Amino acid sequence: MAAERDNVFPTRMNLTVTKVRLRGAQTGHSLLKRKSEALTTRFRVILRKIEDAKLKMGRVMQNASFSLAEVAYSTGDISYQVRESAKQATFRVAARQENVSGVLLPAFDADVHPGPGQFELTGLGRGGQQVQRARAVYTAAVTTLVELASLQTAFVILDEVIKLTNRRVNALEYVIIPRIENTIAHINSELDEQDREEFYRLKKVQGKKKDRAAAAQALIDQDAQHAIDDGSLPADSAAARNILAEQVDQDIIF
Amino acid sequence: MNEIYFNVDAGYLEGVVRGYRDGLITAPQYLNLTQCETMDDLRLQLATTDYGAFLQNEPSPISTSTLVARCTDALVAEFQYLQQNAAEPISRFLDYITYGYMIDNVILLITGTLHERDTHDLLDKCHPLGLFDSMPALCVASTVQELYSTVMVDSPLAGYFRECLSAEDLNELNIEIIRNTLYKAYLEDFYAYCQGLGEPTASVMGEILRFEADRRTVNITINSFGTELSKDDRTRLYPRLGNMYPEAQTRLARADDMDQVKAILEQYSEYKSMIVGVSLHAPADGDGRGAQSLEDRFFGKEVQLNKDAFEQQFHYGVFYSWLRLKEQEIRNVVWIAECISQQQKDKVGSYTAIY
Repeated sequence: MAAERDNVFPTRMNLTVTKVRLRGAQTGHSLLKRKSEALTTRFRVILRKIEDAKLKMGRVMQNASFSLAEVAYSTGDISYQVRESAKQATFRVAARQENVSGVLLPAFDADVHPGPGQFELTGLGRGGQQVQRARAVYTAAVTTLVELASLQTAFVILDEVIKLTNRRVNALEYVIIPRIENTIAHINSELDEQDREEFYRLKKVQGKKKDRAAAAQALIDQDAQHAIDDGSLPADSAAARNILAEQVDQDIIF
Repeated sequence: MNEIYFNVDAGYLEGVVRGYRDGLITAPQYLNLTQCETMDDLRLQLATTDYGAFLQNEPSPISTSTLVARCTDALVAEFQYLQQNAAEPISRFLDYITYGYMIDNVILLITGTLHERDTHDLLDKCHPLGLFDSMPALCVASTVQELYSTVMVDSPLAGYFRECLSAEDLNELNIEIIRNTLYKAYLEDFYAYCQGLGEPTASVMGEILRFEADRRTVNITINSFGTELSKDDRTRLYPRLGNMYPEAQTRLARADDMDQVKAILEQYSEYKSMIVGVSLHAPADGDGRGAQSLEDRFFGKEVQLNKDAFEQQFHYGVFYSWLRLKEQEIRNVVWIAECISQQQKDKVGSYTAIY
């Protein structure tokens, strides 16, 4: 995995581009890491709250169903009557959104309309107090339920988002950034290689030129020697020859 | 002189009812019931009581609702046996007892009709003791108007309806007010009937019914605090009988809070002891049964009165008393069952033991 790199042509331009990408990836990584930490903190808080709410709910629901048993004891079966006389909800749930580090969490609010409600006269002759108490207890129970629902939804969504963020963080940390770094190293090494090749080539060209120049000089010296030997040229004249005048170097063009 | 001829018609039935009374669950049995850990244990304990036969064929994890249903079946079976063997005037007395259940059933059907439900389903929910012949016919009526004009006049409750309600009232009044109005008329009628039966039925039943009337009066007063029920309407729901009629009733009608009710009740020796140590304010939090409520005291007093009815012979009150005791017993059993199934064993003791 670590050997992986992007398939780019090793040029200086690509090196610059890749370096920009590396910087981007690093910034992204640190940002996501911070987001993930913020979410995790929030997650822990919610987790604690859920635990409390669940324990509370167990208690409250037990109370609630028990108060219903009390109603059954003193009033008898009133379920049908209550069901029919309930026309308007006195307990409503309002949903809103909460923003936690860019994650939209739905939050539910219980909206209880105060007042005795529609079946306030139920159990008028017997057990009315128990009925009203059961109603109050159940209202409390449903409030707890709504609270718990809100927390639980937040929990699920946060869990998802945290997993997603962590996945991204890890991908950046262990895949994307090493790969970009590899790419940069690769480009650098390729460029170095190219530099070395170029240098060697120049050296070679220069060496060849030097050889060639030496061979030409040797030829001239030989001719001059022949001429001296022939006597067509005096030895000292050869020695007093103006070298600068007769030797014309070729311009070196790279 | 009643005593001479009493056994001609009622001797057998009285014997039966006293036998039923001996079948009521006793205090040691209640203790055994409260010791149960599971519903199956409870069922095992109940197998030795009168309910045993009715619980026999239920599949094993028994719910409290089935328990209620089966116990009620047991009650109904015993009561119907009495009814089948009764001759005038006991049969009439027994019919009177069932009128109270009829009122509940009719109210149930009216509720269904008002909300345009299919009332056939409701027939199953009706209390079996309150069924009467034209009951299924009630389901035919689709509007309250029809219900009133065609069907209600044939029912035994027709008199109560005619006296205090018009067809328009059925549509407009709160169903609870209708129920209480009917019940008030029923109580008054029943009381008058019992007084007509002569001693000792008159005195025995009189005491029980007067207490019942007082209890309703107090309950209606307490339960109407903070509701839309006006004081005039409240007064109209009070039965016109009872130990507190008329003097204390007029004062209760004007009462605004619990303390005033308490002050009024304290003037009556029979109720003074009841309200001592009772928290009249309904606690808002869940565990309201820690202290005995007024309702519990009323239940206790009712049981006491009904037990007293068995101390005398040659009167019809035993039938009524037995039924009330049996009902209380079913409530107790169900209460214990609820406590067991909901694992609230600390509150299991707040039933009202009979014997």
